[in-house]
Amino acid sequence: MNSTTINHKSIYYPPGGILMWIIIYLELITFGIALIAMVYMGDSEPEVFHNSKLLLNPTYGVINTVVLLTSGLFMALSTYEFKLNNNVKFKKYIGLTILFGLLFLIVKSIEYYAKINAGLYLGYNTFFNFYWLLTLFHVVHVIVGIVILSTLYFKRKTKKLELVDVEASAAFWHMCDLIWLLLFPIIYLIF
Amino acid sequence: MKKQLLYTWIALIILTGIVSILSISSEYNIWIKMLILMVSLIKFIGVSFYFMEVKKAHIFWKFSIILFAALFLIISFL
Repeated sequence: MNSTTINHKSIYYPPGGILMWIIIYLELITFGIALIAMVYMGDSEPEVFHNSKLLLNPTYGVINTVVLLTSGLFMALSTYEFKLNNNVKFKKYIGLTILFGLLFLIVKSIEYYAKINAGLYLGYNTFFNFYWLLTLFHVVHVIVGIVILSTLYFKRKTKKLELVDVEASAAFWHMCDLIWLLLFPIIYLIF
Repeated sequence: MKKQLLYTWIALIILTGIVSILSISSEYNIWIKMLILMVSLIKFIGVSFYFMEVKKAHIFWKFSIILFAALFLIISFL
């Protein structure tokens, strides 16, 4: 465990590293453009989008928002404990982050199962095209995040972990939070 | 630090509740929709600044996050 301090005040060293932040901005811009496109399409087909939104259960969205925010809290706490060289708590919080990530996937699977059973597939209408593509793309990010965090969780037993590894992994996980915070109001609430 | 993270999480959960309540009472009102998106972007900035520790970063990163949130809001309602 190596928690050497990094000067985050330097423009080249944001928490997580500049390369991770380039990825974060690329992702945010990609999702941002797609969501803005969804809003504009919603303006041209207001009835379709409103009626389709009513077919979604916003409770799933609210539960998943709370789950992801809680996992974000645990991730931030694990980074904090890592900086204090508190190995046991670091492991505990990383484990909880992964657990809440898995919980997010379970809730999402239940929601997808209900949609598939109702015949609301990709191609059903414009709203559901956006719904499936955006949420599935986000789910892929969550799965990748869980894989990264699992690597971190098991790697710490065998190799030395650097602070930059932990911060970069944390930044990726928080990026999943950020993307969801953009998706949730637009897909589940505003139409 | 730990308390600050916990307070941030509580604030984010409360804001999620507010957004959910606002959406129930929306009635196609553009201002309510804008408010929902504004509150969601406050949550976005909260996660960035406190969980991702952007508040400790160079001003460029703070500014760019706020700029992204502002542009997203403005373009969505143009």
